[in-house]
Amino acid sequence: MRTKTLWLWLALLVTSLALVAAGCGGDDEEAAGTGATTGAAGGSEAADQTITVNWGTEPPSLDPGLASDVTSANILFNIMDPLVKLDDDLNPVPAAAESFETSEDGKTVTFKLRNDIKWTNGDPVTAQDFEYSWKRTVSPELAADYAYQFSPIVGADEYNACDPKKDNCKALADKMGVKAVDDKTLEVTLKAATPWFVQQVAHHSFLAVNKKVVEQFGDKWTEPANIVTNGPFKLQRWEHNANIDLVKWEAWRDADSVKLTRVNGRMITDGLTAVQAFEAGEIDVLNGGLPTDEIARLKETPEYDQYTGLGTYYEGFNVKNVPDVKQRRAMSLAINRRSIIDNIAQADQLPATGFTPKGMPGFDTINPDSPWMPEEGDVEKAKQLMSEVANPVKNVTFYVNDSPGHREIAVAIQSTWKQELGIDSTIKQQEFQQYLEFLGPPPNKDVDVYRLGWIGDFVDAINFLELWTCDSGNNSTNYCNKDYDAKIEEARTTEDNDARYKLYGEAEQILFGENGDMPVIPIYFYTYTNLEKESVKDSFNLNLLDQVDLTQVVVTE
Amino acid sequence: MLKFIIRRIFWTIPVLLVVIFLTFIMMRQIEGNPFRQTERNVPESIQKNLERKFHLDEPWYTQYAYYVKGVFTFDLGPSLVIRGRDVNDIVKTHFPKSVELGLYAFIFAMVVGIPLGMVAALKHNTAIDYTAMFFSNVFHAIPSFLVATLLIYFVALEAGALPTSGWTTWESKILPSIALGFAPMALFARLVRGTMLETLQQDYVRTARAKGLHYKRVVGLHVLRNSLIPVITAAGPLLGFIITGSFVIELIFNIPGIGQYYVTAVSSRDYSVVMGLTVLLSGIVILANLIVDILYGVLDPRTRDART
Repeated sequence: MRTKTLWLWLALLVTSLALVAAGCGGDDEEAAGTGATTGAAGGSEAADQTITVNWGTEPPSLDPGLASDVTSANILFNIMDPLVKLDDDLNPVPAAAESFETSEDGKTVTFKLRNDIKWTNGDPVTAQDFEYSWKRTVSPELAADYAYQFSPIVGADEYNACDPKKDNCKALADKMGVKAVDDKTLEVTLKAATPWFVQQVAHHSFLAVNKKVVEQFGDKWTEPANIVTNGPFKLQRWEHNANIDLVKWEAWRDADSVKLTRVNGRMITDGLTAVQAFEAGEIDVLNGGLPTDEIARLKETPEYDQYTGLGTYYEGFNVKNVPDVKQRRAMSLAINRRSIIDNIAQADQLPATGFTPKGMPGFDTINPDSPWMPEEGDVEKAKQLMSEVANPVKNVTFYVNDSPGHREIAVAIQSTWKQELGIDSTIKQQEFQQYLEFLGPPPNKDVDVYRLGWIGDFVDAINFLELWTCDSGNNSTNYCNKDYDAKIEEARTTEDNDARYKLYGEAEQILFGENGDMPVIPIYFYTYTNLEKESVKDSFNLNLLDQVDLTQVVVTE
Repeated sequence: MLKFIIRRIFWTIPVLLVVIFLTFIMMRQIEGNPFRQTERNVPESIQKNLERKFHLDEPWYTQYAYYVKGVFTFDLGPSLVIRGRDVNDIVKTHFPKSVELGLYAFIFAMVVGIPLGMVAALKHNTAIDYTAMFFSNVFHAIPSFLVATLLIYFVALEAGALPTSGWTTWESKILPSIALGFAPMALFARLVRGTMLETLQQDYVRTARAKGLHYKRVVGLHVLRNSLIPVITAAGPLLGFIITGSFVIELIFNIPGIGQYYVTAVSSRDYSVVMGLTVLLSGIVILANLIVDILYGVLDPRTRDART
């Protein structure tokens, strides 16, 4: 059966090559143009601008305050209008706000809203809507996961920590530093200059909700019959765990630029089922990752597409149990990242050379190009380093969670450590929730090495590097270095990008440089893999945060 | 009869209480935090807010009391993980789909399995019997996920005859119902064959034949009716399990049924959903058993008299 499919692809490939060769010529110039009337692959705009996307899971919540996952974010960004968007270089550009301005001292940010923005029920979108929404998300009553995104704002933490049974929360809400000066002006007061704040506002938790609708329907305001939105698409149908359909909203401020008229969403959870549905032509885009078993085959198809992701896969040490830095360096040196990527992970992930992933603004300055992470490992050097360790730890317990793939990577590392360094490791697998409890912080004493990943929320390296500060709630290594913390603290208030990137670079050097402490071993930087029909492949694109802007998608013939 | 039914229904209350208690204890014994679904740790103040919102900051007996009250007032509370949805909503939206799938699979199993077993018994020790039993054994042994995958591959992908997944049009409902119905079908076929062979040996069958009754009438009236009792015994709980236990099929065919919720709720520590669905599913199994007991009476008057 496989060979048959292969022949089919081959035939398709030959035909499409022939087509390209025949109808070529002006293609490149056209593609460089507006892209509105001609797709880059030489096809013209199709009459039917409908696509079916498999999002992979049900969006757990379409409430901007409560959504905390990438699927919800993807739907939200296409039905709501954010104040600012990130452009291709990840700089914030105006969207629902026509402009934004940061004061001299960096502590006040003022957003001016556009005049032509409205809700699907006809109400204008006002600065009051944003004030209401932000305070709602921070409020202890809503109990939102992402309330901490608002932490840079004056009074947000205090309001969030208030106990409605004891304190006067209303007064604390009034003190929070977000204020609608008039219908179209939103003024935000920050605790300290926060250089990445405007970028952070592009996060979905900063979207506005319609006060009237939220108060009328309570928890149920996101159901399709109730929901009121303000973005390029409207939620037409949402059958939980089955379909989520969006239709173009003709009254949106920039509706003329939107080509798609309809986006049918499916929620096929099982990877193999999704691939089969794609191959049967039932879906146009398979978003949300491909099953590892199938990647090798799917990579050869013309519909395969992959994107750089803002995430890092790493193995962490419990530095109390593996205290010698030379041993930690040796253990990192021995790992062949190239082999892990090619043989196990298989999605062309990038071998890590630091903790902050590629794609992050300032990456070239930040990346330490660690001497302890050569792409294919350096066994000789590792052995030598290991021999210098005074009291080597020869038995380690290596914890992983039980999702597919992690064990395989751990086994590969285990065998390298055993063969090259004489370290015996015992791999223990745990179910994810139990695993997270086990890691703390502080981690269970039994943990010597553990695996985790980190996916960025917003595009500033602080989001990655603050993990390894002493008090970080995500630092399960027991690692604590005051110099490192000082660098991160300094970076927090350094407004100038280049100066801040330099500080991040110095922080990375403390972790992974020539004299680096190696509390963790970064393995690779994530990629996202998709299957996309050729009619949308050119215009359906994911950004670093795994988000797609459906207003940019065009179906070509 | 009525008294019997009322007494049985009354007995479900303590059974449910035990179910709630055991589930409650077990869910609390496994580690995990329903508010932390990713690597990202939840800051302390946010964790506190969440616990307050969902009453998790109160002592365990108060929480237990909330659940018990919820169950008996048919308000199963909000999901801790799928924010904005109640367990009642989830049951209302997704349970009918699981029931539908279970019923179709059950009907398929009965309609195909019982005649197959009858034919095998009547054509005892012939090629027909061997073939039918060979396939029954094979189908009983093959797990449903394999049947599902094979069906998708050959029927949906290769032949393109039916959709690969979903639960929308009637075409999309065929493959999952068959995939789920295969194993019980095989079970029914084997059960019917076994009991029918036994019944055919009975004296009253021989008597009926001897007094000149037509063979078809003997089989249809006496043999079949008496052979169905073990089938009914098996069918009751089986129906319960088919309705509740189609998680794998729901996953493979992407059917928005309750099974997926049940399994993901356990792994995400969504206490209220786990609790609500456990109670619901125990209720179903209890109900199925009750129906079986009533049917016994219909088929066999002796059991009816014994318990009034």
